[in-house]
Amino acid sequence: MMQGFTTSTTPIVHPPLQGPITATSVKPAHVVTFPAGLPGFEECRSFVLLATDDDTPLHYLTALDGPDASFLVIDPRNVQPGYKCELSDTDARRLGATPTTTLVWLALVTIESGGMVTANLRAPVVINPTLMIGHQVIPHQGTYSVRHILVQGE
Amino acid sequence: MLVFTRRRGEVIMIGDGIEVQVLRVGRDGARLGIVAPANVAVHRQEVYDQIRCANRAAANPVADLASLSRRLLQQP
Repeated sequence: MMQGFTTSTTPIVHPPLQGPITATSVKPAHVVTFPAGLPGFEECRSFVLLATDDDTPLHYLTALDGPDASFLVIDPRNVQPGYKCELSDTDARRLGATPTTTLVWLALVTIESGGMVTANLRAPVVINPTLMIGHQVIPHQGTYSVRHILVQGE
Repeated sequence: MLVFTRRRGEVIMIGDGIEVQVLRVGRDGARLGIVAPANVAVHRQEVYDQIRCANRAAANPVADLASLSRRLLQQP
């Protein structure tokens, strides 16, 4: 159930880009460093959060180094009202976040075979927009689904 | 692989600042306590593997965004 488009990610969203997306084609202030990469994409350390041309709650999280890696992402609160995921002290330290830091939360979206669309609410990507550091957190006690259904298959 | 025998309460130290303590040993499993620096991620392997698989499935989608957004907004 969509609650309208959230603007919480807007400050760090890079305007849409045409052509190849590389470290030199994006504005440096928009580069988010992921010190540990993402599970499965550990070599990707620099990402940019890109707006799309379409009127959509979706953005692209695109790697600027390492193997090709681009993900559709959505604010989890947009698909799960009341979404709440506790950051462990370790994760907060990793992000350089204090209790007053407003963090950007993103769920990775998967288009599955058969057209079903799911979002990973279990392991959200969290970005500290002040330091532009990102991390995919995997809470030890997770209750949300890795494949939360956004759209049923056809 | 290094193999140690440890009793309840005993600890294995790994490198700088990583400690693995055996808290309890039962018939079905051992309960371990881990102390690690903030830059060392500690996960159950099966959970980490599940997230890695999910990330690979999510990477580089071929999507008609306009139609996808329409379908998202049409959900009840």
